[in-house]
Amino acid sequence: MGTNEMGRHRVVITGLGVVACNGIGVEEFWRANVEGRSGVTLIDAFETEELSSRIGGQVRGLVPAQYMSAEIASRVDRFVHFGVACADMALRESKLDLTSEDTDRAGVIIGSGAGGQLFHEEQILAAVDRGAHRINPLAVPRVTPNAVASQIAIRFGLKGPNLVISTACASGAHAIGEAFRKIQYGEMEVCFAGGVEAPLTRFGLGAYCSLRVVSKNNANPAGASRPFDRKRDGFVIAEGGAVLVLEEREHARQRGAPILAELIGYASNSGAHHMVMPDPGGEDAARVMAAALKDAGLTRVDYINAHATSTKANDVVETKAIKAVFGPEAYHIPISSTKSMIGHALGAAGAIEAVVCVKAIGEQFIPPTINLDEPDPECDLDYVPGQGRAAKLRTVMSNSFGFGNCNAALVFSSVS
Amino acid sequence: MSNQEIEQKVKQILSKKLDVELDKITPETRLAEDLGLDSFGAVELMFELEEAFALKIPDSDIEHVRTVKDICAYLAMWSEKTPRQ
Repeated sequence: MGTNEMGRHRVVITGLGVVACNGIGVEEFWRANVEGRSGVTLIDAFETEELSSRIGGQVRGLVPAQYMSAEIASRVDRFVHFGVACADMALRESKLDLTSEDTDRAGVIIGSGAGGQLFHEEQILAAVDRGAHRINPLAVPRVTPNAVASQIAIRFGLKGPNLVISTACASGAHAIGEAFRKIQYGEMEVCFAGGVEAPLTRFGLGAYCSLRVVSKNNANPAGASRPFDRKRDGFVIAEGGAVLVLEEREHARQRGAPILAELIGYASNSGAHHMVMPDPGGEDAARVMAAALKDAGLTRVDYINAHATSTKANDVVETKAIKAVFGPEAYHIPISSTKSMIGHALGAAGAIEAVVCVKAIGEQFIPPTINLDEPDPECDLDYVPGQGRAAKLRTVMSNSFGFGNCNAALVFSSVS
Repeated sequence: MSNQEIEQKVKQILSKKLDVELDKITPETRLAEDLGLDSFGAVELMFELEEAFALKIPDSDIEHVRTVKDICAYLAMWSEKTPRQ
């Protein structure tokens, strides 16, 4: 019936929504990924003169009022614009008619690393400039990270679980994974799950510059994010979001929904090591991948969408971890980095990469890792450099590793 | 500022804030019933009016404001009492 051998419900994906610097909407975004087109540019959202990194994955051309009323659009932070826009796109693709659904069993779980950063910054500046009594009366509900999930719930009338998960760069993947579990265990039938981030602010970029983890390749923005390459010098900060409609399989089948892929495995764990650095041995990264594989009942996958941030530490550690999990077979599994094209969208990254995984299965195509001209000797796997390729993809894994050693892995499969 | 100028400025702020066409807003327009402004929206509106008119509106006055005409009357009264910054 609707449950697997463990007595758990099966979970499918029936809709996708994405906002990224190289494309708004799944069609445009996927085309950019297939063609290996970078969306990284010099940032012009604010003055960057004083900073060492002046590049980013800036989203241009999103019109929030296309996805929500102009009044709401003017009352929320940019990260909520991304979330509601993505949820709206995903709902359209899913063809779900929420007016005929039991909305008590439809929920929303979104990942956000830092909530309404731009508005927060503006209000702090207002307080410094004109006094704390000049803080906007709606600052609290605009800045709070859960504004995004609540605004999606309000917009679409979702009365089931309403949660935000904040696990840095793994937030989006954890949101999808936890939504998967709740549907598996029968707590909901439908969930809007994903991640958003809007960190392109003076504080946001400045803080990452101070931490010295971002690329200073201001002369060549599109070439700055270069995972696994010998000349990589840090990640490129980016904004954006993605939301997936996750649905209990029988529920989706009964309404004749377009089933794009199945979510079959998830795991989360911690390295318990350091707030910024990954465990140099990659033991925790290997453990989370192995646990997700076991959850999916697999020993191998056909493609890995790597976390692959383009930092010195991450790319080497992730490579080690993949080898630890798959042994010699690791050399035969294609791996690629979405971040090579869009930079690192932090709390949104895992969700945007989940969209890539679902599309890769649907289109039977692996997008490339761009800018990988000369591999780091310690990164010697098949990273699909330069050009994407057609491939038979039945199962796909996506890795996400957040600051503070918050790890997640998701496994997707084609529809059986 | 004349009463007419106050009314024009209030209408512009409401029109922009609530995405309503300017000529649909009259002195008799009710904030909650006609424009859908909830209580938090009203608090935010007062904040924006304070910024725009550079004055301070006491919280107790917000509760008595129901229409565009009410807003204009309060602003006219308070702009007389409050010295310009």
